[in-house]
Amino acid sequence: MLKLLRFGLKAVAVGAIILSLSTLALAQDNPRIGLVVKVGGLPWFNAMEQGLQEKGAELGLVGQMIGPTSADPALQVRAIEDLIAQGVEVIGVVPNDAAALEPVLKKAMDQGIKVITHESPDQENAHWDFEMVSAKGFGEAHAELFAKVTGGKGPYALYVGSLTVPLHNLWADYALEYLAANYPDMTLIGDRYGVAESVDDSRQTALDLMAANPDLVGFLTFGSQGPIGAGRAVEERRVADTVQIVGSFSPGQGMKLLKAGAIDGGYMWNPRQAGEVFATLADMLLNDIEIVDGMTIDGLGEVHPDFENGNIIVDQLQPITTSTVDELAAMGL
Amino acid sequence: MIKIGNRAIREILGFLLIYLLLAVVFEILNPGFWSTQIVLSMAVQLPELGLLTLAMFIPIVSGGLNLANTILANICGIVLAWFLVGYAGGEAPLIVVVFACLLALTIGFAFGAAMGTIVAYFGIHPIMVTLSMMIFLQGLGEFITRGGDISGLASNFQFLGYGTVIGVPIPLAVFVAASIICHLFMAKTPLGFTIYMIGSNIRASEFSGLATKRALIWIYAASGVLCAVAGIIMTARFNSVRVGHGESYLLISVLACFLGAVHPFGGFGRVSSVFLAVLILQLVSSGLNGLGANQHLSTALWGALLVLVMILRWALIRLSSSRL
Repeated sequence: MLKLLRFGLKAVAVGAIILSLSTLALAQDNPRIGLVVKVGGLPWFNAMEQGLQEKGAELGLVGQMIGPTSADPALQVRAIEDLIAQGVEVIGVVPNDAAALEPVLKKAMDQGIKVITHESPDQENAHWDFEMVSAKGFGEAHAELFAKVTGGKGPYALYVGSLTVPLHNLWADYALEYLAANYPDMTLIGDRYGVAESVDDSRQTALDLMAANPDLVGFLTFGSQGPIGAGRAVEERRVADTVQIVGSFSPGQGMKLLKAGAIDGGYMWNPRQAGEVFATLADMLLNDIEIVDGMTIDGLGEVHPDFENGNIIVDQLQPITTSTVDELAAMGL
Repeated sequence: MIKIGNRAIREILGFLLIYLLLAVVFEILNPGFWSTQIVLSMAVQLPELGLLTLAMFIPIVSGGLNLANTILANICGIVLAWFLVGYAGGEAPLIVVVFACLLALTIGFAFGAAMGTIVAYFGIHPIMVTLSMMIFLQGLGEFITRGGDISGLASNFQFLGYGTVIGVPIPLAVFVAASIICHLFMAKTPLGFTIYMIGSNIRASEFSGLATKRALIWIYAASGVLCAVAGIIMTARFNSVRVGHGESYLLISVLACFLGAVHPFGGFGRVSSVFLAVLILQLVSSGLNGLGANQHLSTALWGALLVLVMILRWALIRLSSSRL
């Protein structure tokens, strides 16, 4: 029995020492920023953490990321409570549910903690929210790239993730508007297809559309699986040269198709850069550097903040091309 | 009787020992960990999980389970929020807030009693009944709210989530009160006794003349009311409610019951131990957050803690029986 107890204690002690090794090294006098993300353990947020810590170290901040075990707003609230208790100077959040965080963020602000959010425009009880891309910029950049690779004329098809995903449809609206205004020779086939959340549906729809429209010049897709599915269809039919595909996709997943020329490119935003911006903005808030219209912020470029709602929206698009895809995929994205 | 009392005290002392041990470990690893701030932080985080654990505790003691606890809590919260926002938006007179809370409690009671009735009179296993109820309520909730949330509740309602009474956060006061009532209910009332007997052997209880069917309805109704209390607290704390809030608490509430030495097949278990088990889980969670450890690691430690405690318990039983 005693042996068992001793063993148990030893196990706890060893575990605890391993845990503490990383944390004890941190200097306690540097200002601390706690970043609460949607879910822990995803490559996207790992990259964000890396950005936060590297930039934080450069600026003399101690960055700490908390990634809840599931996308449950209740867990984010708990994490923020603990950060407040630890007395961090800055809290960054990528909310799962903006409304559920309002009271706890108010509590943080009441105690003088600076609050920065990301991917949550118009967040209540935050000093600033920043977005790496605007819906307009994202839609138009894809439209422009699409027009460039297809030669700016001919019939094309448009995918969205689903007809009920507001953001995808907003991107699609801006892209359509842009193409109609700048490339009047391009014509949309049918309506937008809500298939781009599924590889199979995207592939099948692409095969059907290509069979029905032999002169189709390409697919513009919003929704992560659209380029992959359409890309496979194009590869199967061996029409990569005549049918172009543009859209945002996961670099690791689409790398092969991109290199084979089936997918022609797309844009995303870089989570690592977002992590860096958390550190940069935290540093500015802590040093009382006022954010003004037209100033240039590291990682965001020239900003034109919406002071009323506390939004900083920029267009830091990360192109996914044959030359950048390897690096992005290596980050696990 | 004295012997049982002794065993209960031993159990409580054991949990306190684990708690102290962990408390010291965290203080050593992270000097300055123990502060008024962290105690307050834990105090306001505890109640949600604690109330849901109590709602899980009563059915488990009876040999059942309530898988619908988190969803039912949110459904009660949704009805409450819908009523409050619909009635008054930003400001509501106190009487309306009280009425809204009573409404939520009634909803919790009604759904709980419905589950209990099905378990009692149709002889369907609680796992199936509560799972069906969970899925039914989840779908219903998503349908009513269209997957979104209801937010912007009256400020005097939010007081329930962030206010304090003589320095004690209200959610904590509610949780402690609920624990005491639960303890008295389970340990001192005939109905509580019946629940333990049902968990030990439902057929024997029935043949002994205990009103098992009526008791089963009360078990789930009481669980439903506790869910409603948890739902009210969560809604007040988040100033918003949606079906998915706190869904991760479901399995953790089961874990907390087992950690609190509740017998997995029913019949045995004490509110006091479950209360301490919830305290321990919260300490591990906040302690690891304080160290900046990965959240998945904290989940892993919860699991490891459960296994460790069970092995220790086994060893203690072996030790005490060998001495006899």
